[in-house]
Amino acid sequence: MNGQSLTFGGTERYYLNPELRDIVNLAIAMEKPLLLTGEAGTGKTQLAFEISRALGLAMEEARCKSTFKGEELCYVYDTVLRLNDSRFGCGDTGRDVNDIWDYLRFGPIGRAFLAEDRRVLLLDEIDKTDSDTQDNLLDVLEDGAFIIREINHKVTARLRPIIIITSNAKRELSDPFLRRCFCHYIPFPGPEEMVEIVKLHYPEIPEPFLQSSLTSFYRLREQPFEKPPATAELLDWLGAMRTSGVKGPGAGREVAHVGTLLKRTQDLLKFRGLRR
Amino acid sequence: MLNFIYQLKAAGIPVSVRYILDFYRGLARGLAPDLDRLFVLARLVFVKRVEHYDLFEQVFGRYFFGREADLGALDRQEVLAGKPFQDWLREQLASGALSEQEIRQFDSEELLTRFWETVLAQQGRHRGGHTWVGTQGRSPYGHSGREAGGVRVYGEGLYGSAQKVIGRRRFVNYSEASPLAAENLRQALAALKSLRPLGPLSELDVEETIHRTAKNGGEIELVFQREIRNRVQLMVFLDNGGQSMGPYVGLVRTVFGKIRDQFRELSTYYFHNCIYGAVYRDPPRTQAVKWEDLIQREPNSRLVIIGDANMAPAEMMAAYGSVEVHTTVRRPGYEWLRELRAHFPASIWLNPIPKHRWPEQSATIDQIRRIFRMEDLTLGGIKNAVTYLNEQGREVDRW
Repeated sequence: MNGQSLTFGGTERYYLNPELRDIVNLAIAMEKPLLLTGEAGTGKTQLAFEISRALGLAMEEARCKSTFKGEELCYVYDTVLRLNDSRFGCGDTGRDVNDIWDYLRFGPIGRAFLAEDRRVLLLDEIDKTDSDTQDNLLDVLEDGAFIIREINHKVTARLRPIIIITSNAKRELSDPFLRRCFCHYIPFPGPEEMVEIVKLHYPEIPEPFLQSSLTSFYRLREQPFEKPPATAELLDWLGAMRTSGVKGPGAGREVAHVGTLLKRTQDLLKFRGLRR
Repeated sequence: MLNFIYQLKAAGIPVSVRYILDFYRGLARGLAPDLDRLFVLARLVFVKRVEHYDLFEQVFGRYFFGREADLGALDRQEVLAGKPFQDWLREQLASGALSEQEIRQFDSEELLTRFWETVLAQQGRHRGGHTWVGTQGRSPYGHSGREAGGVRVYGEGLYGSAQKVIGRRRFVNYSEASPLAAENLRQALAALKSLRPLGPLSELDVEETIHRTAKNGGEIELVFQREIRNRVQLMVFLDNGGQSMGPYVGLVRTVFGKIRDQFRELSTYYFHNCIYGAVYRDPPRTQAVKWEDLIQREPNSRLVIIGDANMAPAEMMAAYGSVEVHTTVRRPGYEWLRELRAHFPASIWLNPIPKHRWPEQSATIDQIRRIFRMEDLTLGGIKNAVTYLNEQGREVDRW
């Protein structure tokens, strides 16, 4: 704990529902990693950026890949470069082949731990990694420390970062992992909330137009498409309709610019009734 | 407040000591000054999966807004009999902090209260006294009925009350007992993705090889890892004839379509009510797949049959039993099913009819359950099915 208490209150660019605001503040106060799940387009990743902006903290971002083992988020030891330098000399690179620190590169977690200031650490799409990696990462985050195993040096966090983890639930996360986090499922915004979100992007949109668009949008969402349209698609769609100047969103099979809402060929065919 | 936690546990939400400590730590820091934030705090601490949101809301609602639900006295007995509590009790006696006399006088609530106090003090988080910011001088321990009332005074929250939220039951579709629907496709999918046996150790792990080689001072050491790709094929047999299957055909196809990449091959076939020597490639059931072809598939193929198993007993047990009037198949359905099961041990039957209605629904459900393991088409059922298939599959993969 660093004495000063941080309270997040949202920003003017991002619609923050009050429940989510409380959740973020609770996680910060309790120093727990906050795991956000929910469909794409519910603003999970965006939230981390807004927290960093609102609180004026720098951001460390890790976009997870399935090949991650966890350690590379802390540090990478560039063995090949060092072997190369030892064979062919460092030249004027300024590296000293006898000093291992010249060959250590710190990843987002390493940087967040070593920083003098408190950082927001985002682990994006953690579900892409396998469960061993997830457990390793949480060990590191919980202890606030990791070991550089080549030289057995322990790096300890100066200030615990605010940790935001997102998951698209592509794969189930392990129970031990979930136990260590505060978990929040962001439900897809309902029509009232969606109005607020849309208005942040298109402040001058006429009310009746917006209402009838939302009706069509939510009706499409209820159908079992492979990729149901989400917030991003809705915003694209509204943008497309505004640019082309159509009078209304249309209904049934006559929805204007349906290609901005449905991206998969199969979904489009299904929508047009060509395929059941 | 402890009663509330026990009710969560009784309702089937896993609760660990760690959660309880976190929860009290939050209360001690005054993070739940009103009922709404208490709701949020409790949910963050105790609920880790969206499947449990609805349950949680129900328990919370019943506890803080509704009548005092009958508390499972048994659960408390369970904790009292549990090891951590017994250890604590022994320690108290040994150190003389409590005498045997005192222990006999306390009721179990009081003992539990002291237990938690000690545990909290050990954690160094306890702020002493009984004045918690949130509850304004009321101990969060003690009799919960009163305690709940104490919090409720500050009930008017900032964003509309928790009561309203709970009333809407926003998460009912995500709960484990809910049938497969568009809302929980994603969860079902996540469960199905665990259906992935691992490949052989045949891929070079470049990173690890470099690391080990460097450590060996240049002596090359090759490290292999498992191939991520799946070698197994998945077959889905879908009953698209019965009425109760209607709403699910599309959903099932979407779900399995999405996990297509996970398997070497995914094939979906159709049947009506029961299987008689063939399944069909197309939904109207005109292009038959011959039995010999099916049976020749590798025995480690995973087989998922989805149907309501609800038919006239004769359709399953009698010769020429098929509902299709022109049938020429003499052999009764159950024999075909048995053969199928014997060929594909990693197989399961998923039934859209909820489990609790099976006994009254139809005798054939019971018959089929003697041949196939059956689960219902809810999230919980799908998860069980995946676990079962993985267990069975592990056996078969060894062959």
